[in-house]
Amino acid sequence: MTLVMVVDDDQDLSEMLGIVLTGAGIDVDLVSRGDEALEVFRNNPPDLVLLDVMLPGLDGVEVCKLIRAESMVPIIMLSARGDSHDVVRGLEAGADDYMVKPFKHPSELVARIRTRLRRTNTDISGLLTIGDLAIDVAAHQVLRAGKQIALTRLEFDLLVALAKEPGRVFSRDALLSEVWGYRHSTDTRLVNVHVQRLRAKIEHDAERPEIVVTVRGVGYKAGVMGRS
Amino acid sequence: MNTIFSKFRGSLALKVIVSTIVLSLAVIFAAGSALNSQLTTGIKKVNLQSSIIEARSTIFNAQYRLLLAQGQRDSEVRKVVNDVIASATSLSTNENAREVIFLKSPGNSIKLNYETTSNLVDPDSIPKYLSDKVQKGDDISISYVTIKYIGGSNIPGLAIGDKVSIPNAGQYEMYMLFSLVNQNTTLTLIQNYLLLTGLFLVLLIGLITWLVVRQVVRPVRQASRIATQFTAGDFSERMNVRSQDEIATLGNAFNEMAESLEKQIARLENLSRVQQRFVSDVSHELRTPLTTLRLASEVINSSRQEFDPIVARSAELMVAQLDRFERLLQDLLEISRFDAEVAVLEATEFDLVALVQRCAEDLLLVAKERSTELRVYSIVESVVVQADIRRVERILRNIFSNAIDHAEEKPIAITIVAGESDVAVGVRDFGVGLDASTLIQVFDRFWRGDPSRSRTHGSTGLGLSIALEDARLHNGELEAWGRPGKGAHFVLTLPKDSMATISSRLIKLQPDDYHE
Repeated sequence: MTLVMVVDDDQDLSEMLGIVLTGAGIDVDLVSRGDEALEVFRNNPPDLVLLDVMLPGLDGVEVCKLIRAESMVPIIMLSARGDSHDVVRGLEAGADDYMVKPFKHPSELVARIRTRLRRTNTDISGLLTIGDLAIDVAAHQVLRAGKQIALTRLEFDLLVALAKEPGRVFSRDALLSEVWGYRHSTDTRLVNVHVQRLRAKIEHDAERPEIVVTVRGVGYKAGVMGRS
Repeated sequence: MNTIFSKFRGSLALKVIVSTIVLSLAVIFAAGSALNSQLTTGIKKVNLQSSIIEARSTIFNAQYRLLLAQGQRDSEVRKVVNDVIASATSLSTNENAREVIFLKSPGNSIKLNYETTSNLVDPDSIPKYLSDKVQKGDDISISYVTIKYIGGSNIPGLAIGDKVSIPNAGQYEMYMLFSLVNQNTTLTLIQNYLLLTGLFLVLLIGLITWLVVRQVVRPVRQASRIATQFTAGDFSERMNVRSQDEIATLGNAFNEMAESLEKQIARLENLSRVQQRFVSDVSHELRTPLTTLRLASEVINSSRQEFDPIVARSAELMVAQLDRFERLLQDLLEISRFDAEVAVLEATEFDLVALVQRCAEDLLLVAKERSTELRVYSIVESVVVQADIRRVERILRNIFSNAIDHAEEKPIAITIVAGESDVAVGVRDFGVGLDASTLIQVFDRFWRGDPSRSRTHGSTGLGLSIALEDARLHNGELEAWGRPGKGAHFVLTLPKDSMATISSRLIKLQPDDYHE
């Protein structure tokens, strides 16, 4: 069974989240303090982390960094403040997605969690190439000259989405729907921040990207090495 | 020239110094001229008098000696003439030169000629008018002349002449010429000294003025520099106050004003910070329980089939009102962000036509419920703008929903026009419309067009005010037109780049289909 670790200091909300997630067939591990999160995470590694930004003990963004430093587990930040500062901080700390309280509907939360947990692109077998990278989709590995590059599941999905259709220019909205499972969100910050993070890991020079190329005014596409 | 003029107008010190120098120049010039003319007259007078006395005695003496030579031979008379010349003249031709000239009177027709001059003086040195005056007058005649020497050199001089008679030779004119070189040198020297003293005085006065003005201007300059810093937001600096004069009073008053301003601003800033902090805290504190409430209400609502009808309906109402509550909370927070001026624009590039179409599609169902539809007309297939997509979407949703609410089952026309640097979206409905008095209130907070009219899908009454603030945050404009019964027209104009400002109105506010 799937296990989700919920880190939130509001007891009532945690309990409610527990009720909703349990109802959807997901096991829940509740943590109420930021400084306890990492220990619980190590003792009982979850499949996904729901992490509030404002936490007693240790800030949610810091917790996110600590978890990301040792695991590629999907992390969804919960923010009570809609302002972008919190959100971007969380995303830059390695969160895959974020939700602003209050969520529209319990099913929205469950849907987001399921999107992050689903095994994507199971239909693709063999190797994809993008730039000088080889992607083994089935093994969930990205290789450059035989050496593996560690990517989070989301970064991997993002790269695969681009590599699957090398000629296509993806708008940010298209990527949001493809990778994050949003039907239509206008929050392009998610895409921007993750493209930056991905580039930092796979590009030779993140300032002059050759693998994930920006198409000005439209979005991104897979770059063709040597032609740029 | 222009820069000098503007510098002059721009500097109090320069202005004072220049006017002081000009005025003192005038005064010193007048005083100097008066002094010069007094001195010149005085010196000339003294010189003239001594020259007259000398000439008179010399000429008298000559006449006397010539009278004594009466009856003597020509050579004896000539000797007397030469003696007279020798005793009366000096040998030098410069400063102190005294020369004598004997000229035959024009009426004298005797053949013997005693015309002579001393030291190579040219007889032409005596002008005609002086000669005439000597002949007519009974006493000596005086004139300022130029003493000419044969050989070229000319010096200024004084000529005093009278008639003399030479035995056997008739009437002659005898002139004494006094060099004025000395006198003129003295006068020039005096003039030069006067000029130099004048210039020196002017410079001194300029310097003194500069020193005095600086004392006044320096604090004024300092005050204006500090005031400029204040304008730029730096309240740290104060004026130096060292004395107890009026300038110090100004400095103290200025510093007190600065102190008070700084305090007031700090208080206001603090107030704004507290307010902002409060809003942020309220936001956080409300959102968490609201999340729990929503999740709980949805859980309850999802199993409402199992409840009896009254409880089931209550669950439905609870969910709906929580929706409304949430929207209200969001709108209030947004408004408070605008009020606190902390709303930030997060500009990205996107296609406005696609966004308009998507917003229209999203409202398809709502429009259908109201038996109207949104028709999008765009003169361009796509137009890329640099703007905050979240805010632009909110503006569009607000004006579209507003049109749907008031469309009275008639279709709504949405037009998109793109220009060189701006884009415009017009939303025209043909419903209830607006009269002039409501037109000015339409962007007011919680304004309700028709109190009897219900709001669709629980609009908060803040939508249009937020839309207007959003538009202005983009340096754009949102304007409304309406006539009762003739519908309304909302026009959003945005610069293609949110950093720029709008330079045109691409869609006329009063629609073309309407005629007064």
